[in-house]
Order: sequence, then structure tokens, then C-alpha cells
Amino acid sequence: MTSVSARGALTALCLLAIYTFPLWTPNLYLLHIATLVAAYWVLIAGLNLVVGYAGALSIGHVGLLSIGAYAFAILVGKYGFDPLATLIVSGTLGAGCGFILGLPSLRLPGFYFAMSTIALAMIVAEWSLALDGLTGGGTGLPVPGFNSPFNTPAGFYWLVAAIAGAVTWMTWNVARFMWGRALIAMRDSEVAAASVGVRIPRMKLIVFTFSGFTAGVAGGLFASLQSYITPETFVFELGLFFFVCIIVGGRGVILGPFLGTVVLTALPELVGPLAKLGSLFYGILLLLVVLVAPEGIGDFMRTAYERLQKRPAKKMPHPDPARLFAAIAKREAD
Amino acid sequence: MLNVIVPGLAIGALYAAAGIAYNVMFSTSKVLSISTGHLSMLGGIFGAFFIGQLGLPVVVGLVGAVAVGVAVGFLTEIVAVRRVLARSDEHLWLLSTLGLATIIQQAIGLWWGTEPRPFPRVIPQDFTAGLWDQKFWLPVVALLIIAAGMELFVRKTMLGKVFVAVSEDAFAARARGIATDRIRALSYALAGGVGAFAGFAAGQLTYAYFAVGLILTLNGFIALAVGGLGSTIGAVIGGLALGLLTSLATALVGGQYVNTVAIGLLMLVLLVKPEGMFGAKKVRSV
Repeated sequence: MTSVSARGALTALCLLAIYTFPLWTPNLYLLHIATLVAAYWVLIAGLNLVVGYAGALSIGHVGLLSIGAYAFAILVGKYGFDPLATLIVSGTLGAGCGFILGLPSLRLPGFYFAMSTIALAMIVAEWSLALDGLTGGGTGLPVPGFNSPFNTPAGFYWLVAAIAGAVTWMTWNVARFMWGRALIAMRDSEVAAASVGVRIPRMKLIVFTFSGFTAGVAGGLFASLQSYITPETFVFELGLFFFVCIIVGGRGVILGPFLGTVVLTALPELVGPLAKLGSLFYGILLLLVVLVAPEGIGDFMRTAYERLQKRPAKKMPHPDPARLFAAIAKREAD
Repeated sequence: MLNVIVPGLAIGALYAAAGIAYNVMFSTSKVLSISTGHLSMLGGIFGAFFIGQLGLPVVVGLVGAVAVGVAVGFLTEIVAVRRVLARSDEHLWLLSTLGLATIIQQAIGLWWGTEPRPFPRVIPQDFTAGLWDQKFWLPVVALLIIAAGMELFVRKTMLGKVFVAVSEDAFAARARGIATDRIRALSYALAGGVGAFAGFAAGQLTYAYFAVGLILTLNGFIALAVGGLGSTIGAVIGGLALGLLTSLATALVGGQYVNTVAIGLLMLVLLVKPEGMFGAKKVRSV
């Protein structure tokens, strides 16, 4: 199969392009956006297992991002912890909060769970305003950067991209093997999955806790990238954005949500009028995708392509005038 | 004590009305729409727009605001529910109503502005009435009208009985010749009217503010989950209890923990009595 090696070559080329990006990027602004995409992707890759594979609709994941970001800002900024070690603390805190949230709410029906995650986002926003001794309240907190060699834009990009790559590799491993199958089975029919021995609450809880960990790590990276955080940074619409990236990219795949993240992060930054529309754009996109292509845009394009390919070629007789006349002339001559 | 109870009942009445709007839509379609709270938000915004900005009489403003709610409720059914229910995937309605709710909220934010604006007086009254101010009793009166109206509608009118038939068993109702699709669309329009009416009545309490929708979606749902899905009296009691509790929490620990207390109540009820106080236990044979 040539397509396998072609796909491998293409993947290698894309990876090369991603990891050498700081060397050939035309300006620092694009590098900033690329770093933002990578930081978002750390969260979305974990969330993808929850939303895309397990089918638990967590809309308020921004709450966990916020927890990780504030933990990072407080521990590094106020108490002078080592940034890299603090990332793990942020992730652990996110995982702990995800565990506490998921323990009761993952057993509930889908809508109840979605509401619980919205509630988490609101509670975190409320607390980050209320505990102003710790979080700076409405004025916010400055966030320090990383130590050398990660203190330049390019170095920081490589750090975030490396973490994003590691998270992607982990989720890919989960998705490829038995776990991923079990998650997809659970998403498509809980009863059927339970009847073949998938321990549903436990599976969901583990995956959700993992996504909490990646959200916490992403929070630390995101905060450091923003260099200043306030409760306004973590608006509910940001959680909606993460969610839309996955739904638009398609559920049950990894590449689709990744492309969704890249496009949806870059588009409002590069196209001015879209930025003005803000979340309205995400709302329209979500509604359109659900109505037109519920399996995501990638799947929609693939089926459309296949339909085009499979269209039976029309058997139109194409007369060849020269041969026709020759044949007639030959016949008349006989 | 009274200055805890009165605002609590007022905001609780709005939560209860949002819970009833949830119920009306849920009964015919088994869909819990995320745009429920946004219907009330529209009532407040368009009330302020018609009366405060265009200078129309109060009655016209009320009718106009309710008409907007009815139209948007109807639109919700057509755009976000009808096509999605035809598919088997049960999560899709959550996504489509979330998309629609976002569109409504952000469009209002772009048009009306993201700052809360004052809602005009509905009835001429001094601002010296204190706890007897109309902003506190109007939502309660509106809730009483809505709850009584719903009960009368369901018990006394033919259309109300058709609603009940569809909510009990849509298949059987269809077999009896009821156009369930049309009834479902009507129920969404009705829910839009109920939500917008309550939002109009509570406009002076919440202000004409675009972000009220999501808060009401969450709190209306908590009221419903506490009271029991599908029960009007449950929504009323759940909403008032939630309003009183958050008001009490504001008085005791300060207003910055309102959501936390509300969610705490939700979690407690879901752990102790998952079907709510007045809800029917849902048992599914597998």
C-alpha cells in the first residue's frame, strides 16, 4: 500500500513543520498564536477522551483550566516554586478537582453532567473573585515565565509543543487499544457496554480525572503565556470554545479536534471581522455542525468525497469523427 | 429577617418560572433545552427595549416581549429540536440547544450591549416602598399567574389534555391521531411565552442584562431537579426554596458564594433523592 507510506511521510512532514515552526515563522505574533494553540491542545487532547470518546459532555472545562492557572500563578509568583515542578502540581490539583466533580456527577444522565460542569465553571469564577487575598480578586495576578532555556518565545513554544506532543501520544495510546474501544462502546450504548463488562462509572471517572490533569497543566502553560490572569480571562465562553473545537473536528478521532483547535484559534486572530463576532461565531458553528454534519466536518467531507467518487461514471458514447468518417469511407469503397 | 425572605421569594419566583418553562418543553419532547433561561432574558431585554427605548405603553411592551418569547420558543423547536429528535443520538439536542442559546445570548450582547441596563417601572410607584417595592412582588404575582394558568390549561382545556397525552406517551397519542410534531412546536412556543412573561415581570430585579440567560438556565434547572422533573408544583417549591436559600446565604456569608450554595443544594438533593421532591421515579427496564 503506497497510501500508508505516503501517510507516514505526510505525518513526518507535518511533525517536522510543527517542531521547527520557531525557525521559519515570519513574526513573533504567529509564534504566540502557535504557542496558544499548543497550550489549548494540551487541554483539548485530554477533553477529547471525555467528550469525543466517552461521550460525557463537559462544557465547563474552563473551570479546571482556571484552577491550574491560578495554582501556577500563586505557587510560582508568590512562593517562588520551580515552574516545571509546579506544572505537575497544577495538573494534580486539576485532576483532584476533576475527580471530586466527577465522582457524583458522572453517574448522572448527560444533561445533569453538562450542567454540573457549567456549575463548576461558575463556582471557580466566583471563588477566584471572592478569595482576593489569594487570587488578587478582580485585579488579577501577574504570572512569571519559565526559567532558561524556556524563557524565550521559541524556547517556551518548544516546551509547550513537547508537552502537547506527549499528551497527544498518551491519548493516542488510550484511544487505539482496548480502552478506546471500551470508551466508544460506552458512548454509543451504555447498556450494551455494561453488559459486556465495561465498568462504566470507573472508566468515565478515570478518563475525566486524566482530562482534569491535562487541563491543570494547560492552565499553568496558558497562564504563563498570558503573563497576567484575571477572572475575566476564564470566561465561560472559553469552555464553550474547547467544546466546539472537538465537536467541529469530529468525535472519536484525534486529528479532527486538533485541526479544529488550530483553525478555530487562528481564525479569529487572523480574520478581523470574526473576532468582533466572538462567541456568536462559535454558536453558529456548533449549531450548523450539529444539524448538517453531526459526526464532524472531517467525516462530512470524507463521506461527501466518497459519494463523489462512487458516482457511477456515465457511459456516454464519444464518437471519434475521424475514425467514423474513415469507417464510412472504407465501407463505401467496399 | 423579612429583608432576606422577600428578595429570596422574588428571585426564587423567577427560578420557578424558568423551571416551569423547562417542564413545558420537557413534557412533549423529553428535551431539556439550554436556551430555557435565555427566553426569560429576552423578556427582560425586550420589555426594556419596547417600554424604555421606544416609549410604548406598558401593556404593549408586555405583549411585545411575550410575543418575542413565543417566537423564539417556536424557533427553538424548528431549528434546534425537530431535526435532531429525528436522529437517535440522545446527546445531539444538548449540543444544538447549546449552540442556539449561545447565538441568542451573543446576538443580544452585540445588539443591546453587555452592560446591564435599567428596566422601566411597570406600575407608577415611589422608590421609597422598601420591601413592598414592585420589583419584589411582581415576579411572585407573575409566578402565581403562570402556575395557576398552567394548571387550568392542563385540566380544563382540550389542548391541555392533548399536551398531557403527548407527554405521557407520544406513540399512543400519535396512534390516536394527534399531530405530535405540532403539539411539540406549540409547547415550545408556550414555554417561550411563560419564560418571557416571567423575565418581563422580574426585569426590575435582574435588569435588562444579556448574561442573565445562562444563570437562569442553571438555576431553573436546579429548581426543577430539586422539585422533581415534570411537576409544576415541584418547580414552584424548588424555585422558591432555592431563592430563599441563596438569599439566606447572601445574608450570612456574602453574595460572592451564591452559585456555590445553589450547586451545593443541587448535589445534596441528587445524592439523597435523585428524582426530586415531587418527581416520578424513572425506572427503565433493560
